[in-house]
Order: sequence, then structure tokens, then C-alpha cells
Amino acid sequence: MSAPSLTPSKAAPAPDSRPRPDGAEPPARPFARSLRRNLTAHGFLIGAVLCFALFSWYPMVREFFLAFQKTEDGQTTWVGMDNLVTVFNDPAFWQAWRNTLLFTVLALVFGFAVPFAVAVVINEFRHGKGYLRLLVYLPVMLPPVASVLLFKYLYDPGYGLLNELSGFFGLPEQQWLQDPDTAMLSVVVASTWMNMGGAALIYLAALQGIPGELYEAAELDGAGVLRKIWHVTIPQTRLILSLMLLMQIIATMQVFVEPFLLTGGAGPEGSTTTVVYLIYQYAFNFNNYGAAAALGLLLLVLLAGFSAAYVKLSRAEDE
Amino acid sequence: MRTARFRRTRRTSAVTLVSALTLTALAACGTSSSGNGSGGSEGGGSSDPAAPLDPKTKVTLTIDCMPPTAKAAELKEWKEDVAAFNKTYPNVTVEGRSTAGQCLEPPRFTAMLKAKSQPDVFYTYFTDLPQVLDNDGAADITAYVNDRSVPLLKDIDPDVLGSLKQDGKLYGLPTSNYTMGLLINRELFRRAGLDPDAPPRTWQEVRAAAKKIAGLGEGIAGFGEYSAGNTGGWHFTAQMYSVGGEVVDASGTKAAFNDELGKQVAENMHAMRWQDNSMGKTQLLKWGDLQKQIATDKLGMFLAAPDDIAYMVQQLGAEYENFGMGPIPGEKNTLAGGNSYMVKKGISGDKIKAAIAWLNYKNLTVGKGQFDWARTKADKLPVGIPQPNFWLNESKAKDDAARVEHATMPVANFKTFMDNPVAGKAEPPKAQEVYKVLDNVMSGLLTNKDADIDKLLATAESQVNQVLANQ
Amino acid sequence: MSTRTLISPAQLARPRGKALYWVTFAVVVGGFTLVFLGPLYWMISSGLKDTQEVIQTPPTLVPGSFEPENYARAWDVMDLATLLFNTLYYAFGALAFQLVLDVAAAYSLSKLRPVLGKAILGMMLATLMIPAAVLVVPQYLTVLDVPVIERNLLNTPWAIWLPSVTNAFNIFLLKRFFDSIPKELLDAASMDGASPTRTLWSIVLPISRPILGVVSIFAIVGVWKDFLWPMLTLPDPAMQTLNVGIYSLSNGVPVNVLIAALTIASVPTLLIFLVFQRNIMSGLTAGGLKG
Repeated sequence: MSAPSLTPSKAAPAPDSRPRPDGAEPPARPFARSLRRNLTAHGFLIGAVLCFALFSWYPMVREFFLAFQKTEDGQTTWVGMDNLVTVFNDPAFWQAWRNTLLFTVLALVFGFAVPFAVAVVINEFRHGKGYLRLLVYLPVMLPPVASVLLFKYLYDPGYGLLNELSGFFGLPEQQWLQDPDTAMLSVVVASTWMNMGGAALIYLAALQGIPGELYEAAELDGAGVLRKIWHVTIPQTRLILSLMLLMQIIATMQVFVEPFLLTGGAGPEGSTTTVVYLIYQYAFNFNNYGAAAALGLLLLVLLAGFSAAYVKLSRAEDE
Repeated sequence: MRTARFRRTRRTSAVTLVSALTLTALAACGTSSSGNGSGGSEGGGSSDPAAPLDPKTKVTLTIDCMPPTAKAAELKEWKEDVAAFNKTYPNVTVEGRSTAGQCLEPPRFTAMLKAKSQPDVFYTYFTDLPQVLDNDGAADITAYVNDRSVPLLKDIDPDVLGSLKQDGKLYGLPTSNYTMGLLINRELFRRAGLDPDAPPRTWQEVRAAAKKIAGLGEGIAGFGEYSAGNTGGWHFTAQMYSVGGEVVDASGTKAAFNDELGKQVAENMHAMRWQDNSMGKTQLLKWGDLQKQIATDKLGMFLAAPDDIAYMVQQLGAEYENFGMGPIPGEKNTLAGGNSYMVKKGISGDKIKAAIAWLNYKNLTVGKGQFDWARTKADKLPVGIPQPNFWLNESKAKDDAARVEHATMPVANFKTFMDNPVAGKAEPPKAQEVYKVLDNVMSGLLTNKDADIDKLLATAESQVNQVLANQ
Repeated sequence: MSTRTLISPAQLARPRGKALYWVTFAVVVGGFTLVFLGPLYWMISSGLKDTQEVIQTPPTLVPGSFEPENYARAWDVMDLATLLFNTLYYAFGALAFQLVLDVAAAYSLSKLRPVLGKAILGMMLATLMIPAAVLVVPQYLTVLDVPVIERNLLNTPWAIWLPSVTNAFNIFLLKRFFDSIPKELLDAASMDGASPTRTLWSIVLPISRPILGVVSIFAIVGVWKDFLWPMLTLPDPAMQTLNVGIYSLSNGVPVNVLIAALTIASVPTLLIFLVFQRNIMSGLTAGGLKG
């Protein structure tokens, strides 16, 4: 696959394009000109800025307010830490965090390692790359509700295909989504199937950027395949790998759709209740926006660390 | 007619009214303009709310829960009824809106109220009243409903009307009512060597019958229960009621299911699921799933309202003859509820009158509209299901006779249910929130072989207490 | 294209290497086909089975019954035409809004450089740091009653379109691309007296086609795949998207009809994907790193 061209076809990157003082025309009324230029520029900006203001910045601020307020009988009052206390005292609180961490860890084992392995393997082939790439990416294009309900059907312990398959391989029948012990794992497997395509393609692109000489040099040192992966492939893609790792952590900590559709959200004995599902439940089942915002704030604080690391790393990648 | 029941309590306090009023003051103008500002300018109606609709009045009425195209027969009847209604009231345009799925799903309903996008006349469950009033969504129609506008008013079960009243004010007119019983698959009963005309009456009998039916193999379950989508909690509540238990105490502020009765219900279900293996492997079911199972002869029994049968026949292609019903096992109390239409707050007096005239024709007249059993039979829709039936006195006698006369299914299949009425009991306050929490108890029992019942109940108790405290 | 990879060509050239290569290749191709196309086959074929067969244990690999009318029923009962139309309407509407407003903003930030431009860009990029799931609740409350204009956007397409503009990542991609357009090109235009709008239209946009393609794909796929937000903001069944509509009808229809509906719902995106796969996949690897 050729790397797509994302630079304008004709030219090298240009430096700053600040309007220069125009030689032909004396800078007679710099103020008026700069005013006009600014008005035009802000005219171009205004639509997007308004949208951001209404649907992004304002809600961000509101999130902080909500977390410390309570609305009762139409009266909004400041309640300090009450909402946080409510959230902490909910028996589901720690369970939700445990489940979310479990999902994240499992999703990293599957969703991080599997696409990388897939990319490494596909990259070795001299044939059929296009077909394999297509296959891996196919599920990403399906409407999530189709993939998820399809998996629900496959997982069904009664008439589902998966138990039939595991019986064929002599494995014991599983309850999959219906067992508190395997529910989250089943959700992760379905989620990996649905989402790994994107990551696999990105790794594939990164792998193609590794200079072949490095492998040759490693071979001269007598390195086997595994050692080459360890000493060449991984270090060479380290930056992408760390970026993807952070991105995955940030995304998986916010998991909602898969458990919501597969197990109704809470799952067997609450075993797939995630933090975001709990937020959803507070806000849209229990009408308690304060508690939802308070829990959201906790998630925000936790993820802000990862986001900051991500931004720092992606800057490094840009250079 | 639809069946899923997510009911909210009908208890409310003055607080909700106050909040409703405050909300009005705060409410921003909605983008939906349906029903706003038609004022009295449209027609020539009387300004006296007690007077019935003047036939000369020209209004357009939007109404939801019109049958979708997929329910061809019901849609045809709806259209016929509109045409007949227009003979008396030629200037009333009834503009129906249909939903391909269930008319009312709680999350969508909530959003609709918040958006104030409900049509002029909107479909609700009995338990929705507090929520509707919280959102200032329904008009007080007390003054409009009398024996002139609804001639059979005196024959409507006052308990049913009571479900639509708050502080003595009437906010809706019923379309159907139900009490829960035990729905059985007669074919599977026969195959398991059980008598389909004598459904189990106690939970011990249910357990024994379920075991026999599950013994048929082929992935057939004896007894089924929900454990997701709030319906698990709803049925846990029904089971608690059936053994004489409570879910929320009389004060409405404390959970009341973490007791001996709660344990008994939980242990019974856990034993059926794990010792007897009679409840099927697939769990985390919600409304609609058990109906699919019993309609395809994969399930022997479950708790349901009679009108589930109509749903299964029309939507899932099942046969009437295959179903029967008994009263809820235990027979101490049974969960009771129903559906109704309310009128959007803020629409003109003439529109309210038109709405009542239409609802009266369609849903509250013996021998007409939904009670025109001769036509129902001609259209090959079910006749003979015991509910909805909210009539008393001579209306009841007339209606019951018509049902028997035009019955399209063996009425005898419901005899045990009819002959053994169980006292109805309304749902707990904050029903949806409570059910949501109780879903976890159900899913724990049905998915975890080593479920710690005490812990499940205790956790749910503390969560329900939190929910109840936050009102 | 045949660059040097992990396994050396010398190793592959050996008979043993060759055999191993082909065996692995066959296993991988077979395995992937099974894992990724298998479920799709299952979906299409289950949609053809009758109500009994679809829930039969053990399941049948080849349908024993043949009921193509399930597909017709799914189309009617679930009103898929409306759902499909809605989804397209929202997706292309969102695309239009993003193309107009985000491109204008990125152009302004990159080339016109107004006062406070840096600060605005910073604030836009800062939104990338906020997890989307956290913002859902306050965003929902905002849509219920948008400040200043005091409108309730629930059940209107605006609830999808306007928030879709706040896609800082797309603005970032666009700006980075515009930054790399040589200023000589633009200066020449402004010497000819072209206004900024004209410059944008006739010079910047034509050479920005690749990035516009990437941004468009992100915009459309974003709306197409979204679930929680449309579920919350478009509760009216007549307004719902494919994802939400099928979900809310999923337990009211027999299993075989539901599966047929899933198949139908999957077709449009699969077609789009097969036709535009090159653009989609290259766009993804180019831009996806930051997403």
C-alpha cells in the first residue's frame, strides 16, 4: 500500500504565511487593513466557534457545575461534595471501576496484541495482502448494532453457533455472556472483532516504514524471528505502538455500546456494568444528573493523565 | 394494544405538582409546535368544558399509537373507526402517528416528555402519570369528562379510572387494563403429560411442572423469567406480590424485599434454574424474548398478561389454541396495570373535547371501536382473551356476551384464570428505578450458579433505598 | 513495493521456507475468511431460515428452510426505508456542516490568522482531552435547552448536525494540511485581487482534495456508527437512525426477521466500503493516528 499523499501535490511544506507588507502598495492605513483582515478571518471562524461554544465548551463548564449541584423541584442548589458521596456509596461504584479496568486490560490483551500480531503476519505475505486487509477491516464498516446483535445470537447458549463450535473442538459448553465470570471476556472478544481493523491497518502502515537493512543487520548477528521482532520490529514501531496503546486505553475506559447491547448494560449480576454505563444509568434511568456528572468528573480526571501523555507523544511523532 | 409494561407508580406528592409548575415557568419553547396555539379561533365550540364537542367544530388532532402498516388488520379498523367517527364529527381530522415497534418505550417516552414533542393525544402506561405530571405534560380533563361526553363513564371500573387520577383530578382515559397470570403453552403441557386445563396454582406446582416440561429436551425450558431491561425487576416484583410480599414499604421510602419472602422467591428461582435446570440456558432476557420462546414451543410457562397472546399471534405468528392461562401462582396478590391516553397540556378546549369524543368512540363504547367484537372476528384478530376488560354492571354483561359470541379461540383455555381472580396490586413508587436495580437480583440468580442470595438482596436493598431517598 | 521484511528473502527461497510460507498463508487466509466472513455468512443464511430452524439446536449450517420473505418482512415491519433515509440524511447533513464550517475555520486559522486565533485553536484542541462519554450528559442537557437561542433540539436533525461540527480532530487535520500549502500560491491570487473566499474556493480547495476525502469519510462514518447520542437525542421512532431503530425494534420481531434486518442494514456500508476501500483505508492510516 502506498502511503497516501496528504501533502499538497505541488509543493514542499511552506513556512509561515503571514501576510507580508505588500511592496507595491504603501502600508498607508495598516490599522484599517488589519481590521478588515481580522473581520474576514473571524467571519470564517464564527460558525465553528459558535458550535464549539454551544456544544463543547459550554457543556464542559456545565459538567463541572452539575457535579456539585442538585436540581430538586426546579430549584438548583449547591450541594458541595454530596454527589460524590452518593456515587462513592453506591454498591455498584467499585464494581463498575473493577469491570472497566478488567475490560481495559482484556481489551489491551486482545485489542492491542491481536491486531499487532495480525499486522506482522500479513506484512510477511507476498500475496493476498489486499484481501486480508479487506477482511480485517470489514467489520469496522458494519453498523455496530448489526455486529453486536449478531454476536449476541452467536453467543446464545441455547441455539448459538459458538457452543456448537466449542463442542466440535471438544471444549466444554460455555454460558458466554450469561455467566458473570465469562461475560466481560465475551464482550471484549466481540468488541475486538468489531474494532481491530483500524488498528491493524495502522500497524501495517507502520511496519512498512521499517528499513529492511535493520533486519539484515540483525540476521548477521544470528537473530531468529522472535528476536528480530523484539529487537527491530517493536523498537521501530514503538512510537506508534505507544500512541495506539494510549488511544486504546482512553477509548476502552469509555466503553458503552458493546455491553449495553450485548448484556443490556449491567450484565449478569452486574458483571458488565462499566463506569460509563453507570453514568448513563444515573442520568437517564435515575434522573440524577448530579451523580452522573460527579462520576463523569472522576473519569475525566483519570483519563486526563492519559490524554496529556497522548498529546505529548503525538507532538513527538509530528517532529 | 401492546403489552410491555414499564409502569411507574401512581403515587405522587404535592411536591411533584409544584415542581411541574416550576418547570413550566422554566421551560424553554420547544421546537415542536404540535398542538400549540390553536386557541379557540378554529371552531365554533362552546366554552363550557362540560358540554360535549360541537360537531361543527373544526380541529385537527394528532394522536400516537396508531397501528403500523405491519399490523394491517388493526390499521384497517383504525381507519374505519376514523371514518365512522367523522360521520358524527366531520370537522375533526384525526391525524394518527404510528410506531413500527412498541408504542411506548420508557426511554423514548421520557425523552418525548422532555422535548414536549408528544402529540395532542398520547399513549401512556398507568404508572406514567407521575412522570407526565413532573414534566407538566398532561391536561386536567376532569371538567371535560362526564356522562355526556363519555356516556358509559359510570360503568368503567373506578379502580382503573383511579389509576389516572391525581389529587382527584383526571388526566387520562383508559384503553386497556391487565392483571398478571401464568401463561402456558398447552402443546408442551400435553407432551410433558401435564393437564393443560389445570395450570399450576402454587410455586411448588410450577417448579414440578417446569421440571417435567424441561425434561422434553430439545432446548425446551419449563419456566422462563426476564432479567434485563427493567423487566427482570418488574417480574421479581410480580413474584413478590404473588406470595404476599412487598417491594417497597407502605411509607414509600424503604425497600421491603430483603426479607423471608424475598429470599423464598429468590431461592425458588435459583433452584429451578440450577438444581432442576428447568429455566433454559439463555438468560438476560427482556420483554419480547419469552414471547418468542413460547411462540416457537421452546418454553412451557411464564408470567404474563393475557394480551401477550394477541401480540404473539399477530407479530410472531403463533396459534391461539396453543395458549392457556391460570392465575398467578401463590395467588396472594397480582400486579395490575394498564394503558391509557392522555391529552397534552396547553391545547385548546375544543381539541380536548375532540380528543375525548374520539377516545370515547374508539375505546370506551361497548359494541364500537375496540369493543366491536364482531368486526374483530371478521378481521381475524383475537376475540375471547379475558382482558382488557374494565367494564362493570350492564356494560360488562353486554360486552362479555359479545366476547363469547364472537370468540375466535377456545375461551375455556382461560377458565382457570377467569374463575380465580386475584386481588390486583399497583406497582411500587419509582417503579422503573426500582426495577432497574432488581434486574441485577434476577440476573444474579439466573446466571450465577453460586449466587449469594443474601448479598444480592442486601445490595439491591441499599440501592433501592438510595433511589427512594433521592426523590 | 516488495520491501525487505521480517523474514529474509533467502529463507523464503529455500524449499522448506517456501513450503512453510504457503502453509502459513493457507492457514491465515482460511482462518481469516472463517473469522471475518463466517459471521456474515451466518447472518445472511440465518435470515433465510424459518422461525423454528433459526433457534434450533444444533444450528444448521445450510438453511434447511428457505424463506426469503423474511427480508421483505424485515423491510416492512421495521420500516427500514425510513431508518435508512434518516441515517443518510443525518450523515450527509453532518458532512455538509463539517465541510463548510470546519474547512472555513481551519482555513482562517491557518491562512488568515486572526487575533486570538491561536487561543481559539488551543481551546478547540483542548476538547480532544475531554472523554466524549463524560460530555454526553451536559451535552444532552444543552440540546434540551440550547442557551442564547433557547431552543429544544430534541427530535430535530440539528441535534446531530451542529454538535458534529465540534470535531477538533478534523479541524486539526485540515489546518495541518492548509499550513503546508505554499504561501506563494495564495499571494499570487491575492495580488490578482481575489478575495479570501475566492482563494479558498479556487486555489485551496482543489489541491486539498485528499484531505477533504479523509475528513468526509470520518464525518459520515462517525454519524453512521454512532449509537448513544442519536438514541438520546432522536427518541421519535420516525426520526431514528438505523442503529437505534433496529435496536429498539429488536425484541418485537421473530429472530429470523431481526437477522434479516441486520443483513439489510449492513449492505449499504459494505457496498460503500467495497467501492471506496482504497480511499477509506488510506485515509484511515493517514489520519487515524490521531483519532
